[in-house]
Amino acid sequence: MNLDLTWRLLKGGGRRGLLGTWLTLGAVAVATALLLFAVAANSAFQARAERGAWRNPVPAASGAVAVEASRYDFVRDRTITVVDLAALPGRTPEPPPGLPRFPAPGETWLSPALAELAEELPAGELAERYPGRKGVLGDEALVFPGELVAVVGHAPDSPAMTAQRTDDWVVAKPPVKVASLAGQPSEDAEAYQVLSLIASVLMVVPLLVFGGAAARLTVARRDQRLAALRLVGATPGQVVAMTVAEAVIVALAGALAGAVVFALAVPLLAGIEMQGGPWFAGDLFPSPLVLAAVLVAVPLLVGLSAVAGLRRVVVSPLGVAKRETPPGMRFVRVLALLAVLAAFPLLTRGTSVSIIAVALALAFLCINLAGPWVVGMIGRITAASARGPARLLAGRRLVDDPRAAWRTVSGVALTGFVAGFLGLLSPTGFGDEVTGPPQLRVTAPAGQVTEVAAQARERLRASGVQATVKPVKNVVVAALGSAADDATLDRARTALAELVPGRTPTTQRDDRRFGIQILADVRVGTIVVLSVSFLVAIASSGITATSSILDRRQTYGLLRLAGTPLEVLDRARRTETLVPLTVMGGGAILVGAFCAVPFMIGGMNVVGTVTLVACVVVGFAGVIGAGALSRPLLRSVTADPAPRPD
Amino acid sequence: MNDVLVGRALAKRFGQTVALGGVDIAVRSGEAVAIMGPSGSGKSTLLHCLAGIMKPDGGEVHLLGQRIDTLGERKRSALRRSRFGFVFQFGQLLPELPAEENVALPLMLGGVPRAQAVRQAREWFAPLGLHSLEARRPGELSGGQAQRVAIARALVTRPAVVFADEPTGALDQQTGQETMRLLVEATKHNDASLIVVTHDPNVAAWCDRTVEVRDGRLLTREPGVYA
Repeated sequence: MNLDLTWRLLKGGGRRGLLGTWLTLGAVAVATALLLFAVAANSAFQARAERGAWRNPVPAASGAVAVEASRYDFVRDRTITVVDLAALPGRTPEPPPGLPRFPAPGETWLSPALAELAEELPAGELAERYPGRKGVLGDEALVFPGELVAVVGHAPDSPAMTAQRTDDWVVAKPPVKVASLAGQPSEDAEAYQVLSLIASVLMVVPLLVFGGAAARLTVARRDQRLAALRLVGATPGQVVAMTVAEAVIVALAGALAGAVVFALAVPLLAGIEMQGGPWFAGDLFPSPLVLAAVLVAVPLLVGLSAVAGLRRVVVSPLGVAKRETPPGMRFVRVLALLAVLAAFPLLTRGTSVSIIAVALALAFLCINLAGPWVVGMIGRITAASARGPARLLAGRRLVDDPRAAWRTVSGVALTGFVAGFLGLLSPTGFGDEVTGPPQLRVTAPAGQVTEVAAQARERLRASGVQATVKPVKNVVVAALGSAADDATLDRARTALAELVPGRTPTTQRDDRRFGIQILADVRVGTIVVLSVSFLVAIASSGITATSSILDRRQTYGLLRLAGTPLEVLDRARRTETLVPLTVMGGGAILVGAFCAVPFMIGGMNVVGTVTLVACVVVGFAGVIGAGALSRPLLRSVTADPAPRPD
Repeated sequence: MNDVLVGRALAKRFGQTVALGGVDIAVRSGEAVAIMGPSGSGKSTLLHCLAGIMKPDGGEVHLLGQRIDTLGERKRSALRRSRFGFVFQFGQLLPELPAEENVALPLMLGGVPRAQAVRQAREWFAPLGLHSLEARRPGELSGGQAQRVAIARALVTRPAVVFADEPTGALDQQTGQETMRLLVEATKHNDASLIVVTHDPNVAAWCDRTVEVRDGRLLTREPGVYA
């Protein structure tokens, strides 16, 4: 019976009631889609780590069946992962993922993108490096679509499988005897997982706040209706049940819509390049279990938030009719933040990533706790210093409901925290461009540098590449001259392939490539986190601005009727947002920067500063814009000549 | 006594429904007029047209000899703020402002500095029996007290006409009578006219005269409108 009545109330809510319902649904959908993205980012990095695990051999304690080594090669400024494999005598190892069988000595298997490139480019620039091509690797062998990978089969005693590689310029895996090709996720992959976990924490907390704001969107409306139900004799249990039912119905619909939005956005998200390439769409989909957990958790959280908002009605049927001086916020909220900030350097001293993530989440939650207290304080100062009606209205409103005002600005404040945190974290030092003509360098085995140099000279001459080759200590350096273009460089690389077994000739740029890649990935990650945070912040402020108008439509209507200009009401609304936004946004950026200090690499850099400034500008513009969007609604609700209570 | 507010041949339709079908009415200076009628008779529409809240489809409204129904929304807004006062059944006080700031708000909207506006607002509290309630918020006042604060707010700008729409509708009989007494006395004391929309004869009895609206027309012909 309760459910039936709830459904009737939901359907018969009138035009503005329906608007509130739709807004809640939309807000929950956005929150769910972004939450799925935050969760999916973790599972996607995990999937990548698992996809690449087979290339990271684990030494066999016993029962070795094969030898595995890996290195990097380069073509046209792109990285090729080369995996060298050899079956031990008398053993028939399981093939690695994406291969129909274990490669025999002399056989080569290329990834589809590499095979295509080998067809496109002249043989002397790429194809000749990988003779004996037998087939194409399946997607299972690849970390991302379009990755360049070569799997080369060798005899176990061939030089490529016995030469040491540890002193190579580019990090490579030396030959290792393995019991299987299962491998384990590389350290790099694990580092990326850690970074994605931190990014998720940074995104999830504002999302939770946003979810709360969405849940309260129509709570004032429900307040009045359900208070009326209490007056006619509904028990607190029935009121709570109906509230939960109404909120959960809307939130479930929103969560499902959010999941659909996320699914539709996956092809777009899969295009975000990380670690040198885009994503397999399948890796971005969270597991059915995670999806189910999100679809259950979101409506549940929204329901709980709605119940929290209705406590007053349940306590007394007259609860919402009486508006009294709100009790002051406790200063202990600020003390909690100060305590966490004081403990932050200690918390982050340990290298455990989970501790860092917990410390960040704690700092975040404490900002959220201290926020309403600070907003209340700002309101008191604004009201006391107000000369005109707009500022007075804004200040009194901030004092009256600092939590509501905090909900409007919290998104941007928490994003400010993220921006302050990441602004200081952008590493520098890898970005310097290498100037001058390219030089290929390869380390020669001990005592053989002169012979290797002579071979290099001969090979380059044979392939028609003009170069000056000379040994420098134990390194053979081939200077290609200023006229060398990408094609010449790749011809030289091909000519020098396998000059020293298991080693790749590299340029200075190749040697820095991984540092540049990490920098690029951190920047992409920062932009993604900030974009999500801003989306949440702006949607959040739009939602709260709208709900504030809907909640106060009767008062606004009567004020307009008594001759209050719309501009005064609008200015009061703007001041109500802008004053705390300025103070809280600035404060959060400082707190974020403070929390980033323990992790700082070098000083503040230009990119970080530009990101921060852009954050402030976009945040303010977004919040003002979102508030301005609700102006037509204000005009519409105040145009009613005879406002009546609902 | 001169006519302060005059409505001539006022007509208003909402779709097919005729809310006002040519109403003539004149309110003299310092006079208290009750507009009575059953629900849906058009009494609230008449009040809205006279107060410049709504533009009539036909007819004219004059305030102190100046036509006001042809003014733009901005000017009518300014007029409502400065020349009219309003008392409604409920909900007109801002819950987050203390009582004195609720009363001071119309003055501040008119450009009076805050300190002066609050000082002027406080002067209304004792005469209306609101002594020492200046700092209370609407939620901390009884229904009768809140209505008296609303009366103070309606009169603080010293308006020419005060419009009251069911001002005692949310109050008990005794509090309603007391509120009407204060409303009529305070309005007269300030030389303002009072127009009260009500369906309660006890409320109407406080006024100098009563006009009755039925189906968008006045039952009693107004004297002096065409003079």
